[in-house]
Amino acid sequence: MIQYSYLIPLFPLLGFLINGLGWNKIPKSLAGVIGSTSILASFVVSLAVFVEVLSPSFQGPFVQHYFDFIQSGTLYIPFAFQIDALSASFLLIITGIGFLIHVYSTAYMHDDEGMVKYFAYLNLFVFSMLLLVMGANYIIMFIGWEGVGLCSYLLIGFWFKNHAYTDAAKKAFVMNRIGDLGFLVGMLLVLYHFHTLSYQELFDIIQSSADQTNMYTAIAICFFIGAMGKSAQIPLYTWLPDAMAGPTPVSALIHAATMVTAGIYMIARSSVLYNLAPIALDLITWIGLATALLAASIAIKQNDIKKVLAYSTVSQLGFMFVAIGMGAYTTAVFHVITHAFFKALLFLGSGSVIHAMGGEQDIRFMGGLGKKMPITKITFLIGCLAIAGIPGFAGFFSKDEILAHAYAQQPLLFVALLIGALMTAFYMFRLYFLTFTGSFRGTEEQAHHLHESPKAMTLPLMVLALFSIIGGYIGLPKVLSEKHWLHDFLSAAVTEKELHELSHATEWMLMGVSVGLVVVMIALAYKATQKAQFSAAKGLGKVLEHKWYVDELYQAIILTPLNHLGVFLQQIIEKSGIDALVNNIGTSIQWLSTRVRLLQSGIVGSYIFVMVLGIILLLSIGFLSTIL
Amino acid sequence: MILIITASIIGVVLLFASFLLKHTSSLLHLVTVLFAALFGVAIWEALQPTAILTQSFYLDAIRVDRFTNQFNVLITGCLFLYILLMKKHIAAVGKYKAEYFALIAFIMVGIFMLSSFNSLLVMFLGIEIVSIPQYILAGSDKENLKSTEASLKYFLMGAFSTGFLLMGITLLYGATGNFMVSEFNFLQATSINPIALGGVLLLIVAFGFKVSAAPMHLWTPDVYDGTPTPFTAFMATIVKVAAFVGFMRLFQTSFTAISSSWSLVLAVVIALTLFVGNITAVFQQSVKRMLAYSSIAQAGFMLFAIISLNAIGRQGMLVYTVAYSVASICFFAILIKMKDYTYDGFNGLAKKQPFIAALATIYMLSLAGIPLTGGFMAKYYMLKAVLFEGSYMWLAIFALLMAAVSVYYYFKVIIAMYFKEGEAAMIDSFTKEEKLYLTIGALALLVVGIFPSLLTGTI
Repeated sequence: MIQYSYLIPLFPLLGFLINGLGWNKIPKSLAGVIGSTSILASFVVSLAVFVEVLSPSFQGPFVQHYFDFIQSGTLYIPFAFQIDALSASFLLIITGIGFLIHVYSTAYMHDDEGMVKYFAYLNLFVFSMLLLVMGANYIIMFIGWEGVGLCSYLLIGFWFKNHAYTDAAKKAFVMNRIGDLGFLVGMLLVLYHFHTLSYQELFDIIQSSADQTNMYTAIAICFFIGAMGKSAQIPLYTWLPDAMAGPTPVSALIHAATMVTAGIYMIARSSVLYNLAPIALDLITWIGLATALLAASIAIKQNDIKKVLAYSTVSQLGFMFVAIGMGAYTTAVFHVITHAFFKALLFLGSGSVIHAMGGEQDIRFMGGLGKKMPITKITFLIGCLAIAGIPGFAGFFSKDEILAHAYAQQPLLFVALLIGALMTAFYMFRLYFLTFTGSFRGTEEQAHHLHESPKAMTLPLMVLALFSIIGGYIGLPKVLSEKHWLHDFLSAAVTEKELHELSHATEWMLMGVSVGLVVVMIALAYKATQKAQFSAAKGLGKVLEHKWYVDELYQAIILTPLNHLGVFLQQIIEKSGIDALVNNIGTSIQWLSTRVRLLQSGIVGSYIFVMVLGIILLLSIGFLSTIL
Repeated sequence: MILIITASIIGVVLLFASFLLKHTSSLLHLVTVLFAALFGVAIWEALQPTAILTQSFYLDAIRVDRFTNQFNVLITGCLFLYILLMKKHIAAVGKYKAEYFALIAFIMVGIFMLSSFNSLLVMFLGIEIVSIPQYILAGSDKENLKSTEASLKYFLMGAFSTGFLLMGITLLYGATGNFMVSEFNFLQATSINPIALGGVLLLIVAFGFKVSAAPMHLWTPDVYDGTPTPFTAFMATIVKVAAFVGFMRLFQTSFTAISSSWSLVLAVVIALTLFVGNITAVFQQSVKRMLAYSSIAQAGFMLFAIISLNAIGRQGMLVYTVAYSVASICFFAILIKMKDYTYDGFNGLAKKQPFIAALATIYMLSLAGIPLTGGFMAKYYMLKAVLFEGSYMWLAIFALLMAAVSVYYYFKVIIAMYFKEGEAAMIDSFTKEEKLYLTIGALALLVVGIFPSLLTGTI
């Protein structure tokens, strides 16, 4: 089956082409079927491929070469796919969760005019992400990388008639492009020094010459800048919360299955390189930690249901990067997987709420929705429990693993992360209690309209809820089981750093502390939401509500100077410099033309005269140059 | 070899056809069939198993090699396209319809000689067989003073240049005692005697005249402008390219070893040609006259094949043959239907004839050398050839700057068609077949622009 893995990206591509080319002919219902079926088909193939990778007979990475993509001088880039444990795992997440989101969208987008276009974009999105994951070299990854960026732009700005939404789309695109530049520079560095961009060849070279630490650090940091953009880390994270402008299933797709996991995937894929660049790893740890705490603190004071979830994604991504910074790549991938389940669940759940509320997203005007929408309520609760890290739910296992690694490395790091985790529990349950419990605070009309969502929406919720519970059991902690299944599975594809082991007693203790505190935080959140009074925030609360004024800061220190520079360049340099130069060249050529044409007098005698003069000149040049 | 004979027979048949065929339409059918047959023979000859070998005829006075065959196929292909597009207009020039086609067939005989000569005498014959019918064609519109003037000017100056050609051949014969270009006994010498050098330089002058290289280009604008447009299209494309092939054949076979003594002269000629052609074209108000100057400018690029003396140059020559001839012929086929030959005559064409305007745009893009068209690849090969050769970097840079200038006057046509308001008037509409041929031409340009190796692969 593995030799048919090219089918995995092919189906979404076909779906995109069919829906994209027939956008004004295909009926809406059919578009949803085409879009979902194509993803289902690639999910089936992915599953078969995964099973094959799982079997003990599978030896090492499987690289399939299709054709020569670029061949120019010494530069050789084949178009090839690489299937191993890492890419097979990501394939399952992307197509599996992608499929559920597609199904959900058929109901969510049912009343939208642009539904066919929407499904075309969605398929293209999944296609790009699959390309990114399956490529056997950085160029293929980069094609997918850019494709994902493009699709996020298209989908965030899907309702392009709203100016704020197109602004958000532009912001996402620009922020991502800044990161992409880092990635591109990194690739050029690799190409310049190692003359190859294929993973296997490159890692072989790197492993055999481990002494070029500075070069590795430079490349690793460049790649990380790329990851900052896609995976929303400080300082390039601001696009992700604004990306809420897109339809809610798109948010789910961006936050859970695709896009933001690209950065994690890229670094896990380059683990060989990062292991030799300790400075880069430290940088990643600090940036990840800062992002985790900053985003979590902002999420506490947000009142838009999707904004809270968005900042929680940024924060969780920070956790993953901390894990990567410690060299625990498989732990990061583990958290990617569990996070994909519960974050998709939470976003789709919020979509269900927004659907019922007729577009309202402010949790201050919700409350008591649980009575009318029991399925949404229960599944959303499961998601909250998972992300908060309550034992037994998926998030607990992966987050606990990160915390345990942190403690082993540096207890202070553990404390900082724990604070982040506690804030997570607080804001998630604040969100939950405000939305689903208490009494309804919206208008009469909204109250009248409240209803549970259709099957196509609740079914994906239930499936995701199930996985948010059982998804964690693929990586049981050391204290419960000697075998960490995911770790063993991925270790073939990812080279982990040597990590300290904790004693079982310490690990039990850490677990107890974190779980106990999380329960306390949930109780606090319950208490805080019972008052349900929303006065204007003051002091620190106001700063948090305004997201630490980061957008304003960027505006002041980057955008404003850039705009001034742009005005200066346009007014002075361009108008009186470049324009004048260009225009003068043009006019002088035209003037020259009026002179040179005078040669053409129309009189044969003068023609022959000029010709003879010219020939004499040529003959003299010829003879003189030979003699001299 | 069979091609030369076929072309001669076609010429003779067409001469007699004027007695036998009373109706223009039956004559045009016959013409189509005959030139299709010529194309067929060229292909057939190139497909022979012996075609890849060098064969000699007539005491080695003619040598047919692989390049000859390949070039013959391309040039007869271009000719066939020209005939298909222009036959109606050729027949409309004057009274002696069949004779015009016969003259074209005889010119083809000369062209085939130029692509296969091994003796300077055959070369001379070829050049004259190409030239003399052209003097007649230039003056074929007898009622029109401009046409007569063009014919006379062309004849006078052509005769003048023939003097240089003969003098050059004579000097070379005097220096070597031989007419066979592949056997010149001074070729291997490191030093060159002044008589032979004089011969080589005079040949540059003579060929420079034929390909309208500066400063021997002065006849070109007047003659092209005055000549009836269907024949301008022929002279500016197929005949000019053939002269280049003769030029290249002589210099690459015979004068490679002594290139250091003539390449500087040629470089000066190229620079002058590029400068005069492009700069003067900028001023022109008439599109037909602009095309005359553009043909001078393009000649500058084609001369790169001769100065570079390598296989890339030869490949480039083939690409240039197709890219330049097809684009120019097709554009002339559009121009000939315009009421007004000035730029203003094209104003607003895109609104009235969107399809024709789109095709014309492709031809102009190709002539300007914009990527994805054959014209780009043609220029690319030429620049590559000269850079590969090594010593004329400055020339390549100059050529690029001049190519940038050329964009100005080619794009002026596109701007007129698409962005200017006006009533572009046509004297006569396009038939379905003509549109088909024009489309084929445009597609050929695109295909060559993307897969130039289709033309160059086997050289």
